Amino acid sequence: MALLDIKNLTLEIDTGQTRVKALDKVNLTVSSGEIRALVGESGSGKSLIVSAISGALPPQWRMTADRLSWRGESLLSMSTEQRRQVMRRDIAVVFQNPVSALDPSATLGQQLEESIPDELVRGNWFWQRGQNRRKIAIGAVHKVGIKHHRHYLSAYPHQVPTDICQKFMIAMALVSQPKLLIADDPTRGMETTTKTQVLKLFTRLNQTKSLSILFVSHDLLAIASMSHTMTVLYAGQTVESGKMKHIRKRPLHPYTKALLDSAPSFRNNLPPKSTLPTLEGTIPPLQHMPIGCRLGPRCPRAQRDCVVTPVQRRIHDHTYNCHFPLHMEKL
Amino acid sequence: MINVLTRYLTLFVLTLLVLAALSFSLAYLFPGDVLTNLTGLTPQNDMQREALARQYKLDQPYVVQFYHYLGQLLSGNWGHSFISGLPLREEIGIAMPATIELATYAMLIALIVGVPVGYYAGMRSYTPIDHTINSVSLFSYSFPVFWLALLFILVFSLELGIAPLSGRVSLLFDIPDATGFILLDILLAEDIDKGLALSDALHHMALPTLAIAIITTAAMIRMTRRSVIDVLGRPYITAARSRGLSRWQIFSRHIVRNALLPILPLMAIQITTLITNAMIVETLFSWPGIGNWLIQAIYQRDYPALRVGMLAVSTLVITLTILVDLFNRLIDPSREKYERATV
Ligand SMILES: Nc1ncnc2c1ncn2[C@@H]1O[C@H](COP(=O)(O)OP(=O)(O)OP(=O)(O)O)[C@@H](O)[C@H]1O
Ligand code: SF4
Ligand SMILES: [Mg+2]
Repeated sequence: MALLDIKNLTLEIDTGQTRVKALDKVNLTVSSGEIRALVGESGSGKSLIVSAISGALPPQWRMTADRLSWRGESLLSMSTEQRRQVMRRDIAVVFQNPVSALDPSATLGQQLEESIPDELVRGNWFWQRGQNRRKIAIGAVHKVGIKHHRHYLSAYPHQVPTDICQKFMIAMALVSQPKLLIADDPTRGMETTTKTQVLKLFTRLNQTKSLSILFVSHDLLAIASMSHTMTVLYAGQTVESGKMKHIRKRPLHPYTKALLDSAPSFRNNLPPKSTLPTLEGTIPPLQHMPIGCRLGPRCPRAQRDCVVTPVQRRIHDHTYNCHFPLHMEKL
Repeated sequence: MINVLTRYLTLFVLTLLVLAALSFSLAYLFPGDVLTNLTGLTPQNDMQREALARQYKLDQPYVVQFYHYLGQLLSGNWGHSFISGLPLREEIGIAMPATIELATYAMLIALIVGVPVGYYAGMRSYTPIDHTINSVSLFSYSFPVFWLALLFILVFSLELGIAPLSGRVSLLFDIPDATGFILLDILLAEDIDKGLALSDALHHMALPTLAIAIITTAAMIRMTRRSVIDVLGRPYITAARSRGLSRWQIFSRHIVRNALLPILPLMAIQITTLITNAMIVETLFSWPGIGNWLIQAIYQRDYPALRVGMLAVSTLVITLTILVDLFNRLIDPSREKYERATV
């Protein structure tokens, strides 16, 4: 069953004279118990999707969507209180920049403890509950691999290194025992051992607690090893989405192929000392998006038809937005 | 911690030294006799003059004179008023508390009314109620204080006759001066009708206090509102919301403190304005405070009084400013980081 279901999510913003579409009809689902990777270049709108789901968009954005639902209930039409309850118990978010997402004037311990929902705290009297809260917090801190809890729980965010802040954000997200974890680039800048530790934790929680995860990252290697499904985003459009192993074996969209090719570890037949094939050019700025397929100017397969935005097509559970997909002959 | 305290103390002492030097040089800069400017005493004959000059070390180099002057200041020997002949320390000891009293009540009103209203407006930012509060506070903030005081006198004292025109308390009450704060003195006084005296004092106090408080309250509202709006836009508030915290939790745990921290230094600046305003309003209401006293000194060319009065007022302002800043430093955890950059 789809936990999170997003259909044709469009985000627009007025930049001076023109209105630009930062997200153009994005589709995304996260099913129960799956780890879905959301990948795309920097500026392709991944964090915007995360903000839209968590209701954290600044008011100047105009959002439209055919569907944005949580377990069949529309997040857009539910009351503020209902939505708050969903965010409190079911969905947890780790935002991209952990340091600015922490209150500078409160200790890490206070912020972690306030994220524990009241229902999970045992005890009748406030001191018992206080102690229990503390215990839960310490447990959560250990779980994300922080050893000196005594030191860090009473520290302020500016006093600790960034990776500890990142881990605290993860602990704060996990401590409410959510059904879905949305993690926006949670391992950015971490060193390899720490990163592995976090990824292992995610995989374990997925297997033991059937936690669903929407994992946003640049790190294709990490994504490939842990996620079941993948959605690829280019310049605010979803270009391809499907099972990880299908996409790896036979990407249908030229952009996905370029993305996979640019990561050496995905190629088994790579001749030594060959240059990596990548697409010419860079992602266009929002104000100058090409009409039709946004990949058009950079796409090696582009033809005249591509000035019309390709609609989403589907082969089993593999969807793609392209007029001239690859590998069709093999299907 | 000790470091911070030492640094503030050094700053404080150095500033006071500079002010004392300025005050000392005034004795030379003011027209007239240096000896008279410095002591407030007019020697009758040459022998007396010589004795005084020797006592004040005027025959020695400036540095020694200044050193002696500092000693005199510290021991409380501030010289005598030119006009009344009374010791200046006593006169200032009576006038200063009256000003502080006025400023304190005005500040209390500003804090008690201004800060909560500011929070409310900030939390309701850009709604009609916020726009109303904002316009009213901008309007009141723009009043010149003396004009407001005159308006009050015109309306409440002269037209409606519900408040006395001048003074601190009716002369019918004989209140001994114990603390210098009239309300406290009344409570401490014996054998007077305390209820009547208090109500009379409050009547006297209402107009000048309000005249100062309105402007400071408006400033508080505007500062608090701005700060709350700033905090509301921070990513950690968004993050707290996405964790499903209630409005009240977000307000009490994340907004109150973060919004207050940037206002505290601004409050320190307000104190200076507040004392200036109090001194202006005093002269209009004949409130026996330091502002009124200084104006009288200027009219009467009482140079010794001006010399010490200026030192006393600036010492007060600097003490308060440094105290607020120190307090602010102590409660703001993230300031440690910038310790090297400031002061
Ligand atoms: N407030 C804003 N006003 C205008 N454009 C914005 C605003 N915020 C984001 N954008 C634009 O929206 C696009 C998507 O940004 P987003 O932060 O979602 O990218 P991202 O995929 O998360 O990138 P990264 O991998 O670097 O985190 C970018 O082109 C960005 O310039
Ligand atoms: S639609 Fe055309 S331009 Fe877009 S990816 Fe497919 S082939 Fe390339
Ligand atoms: Mg991002």
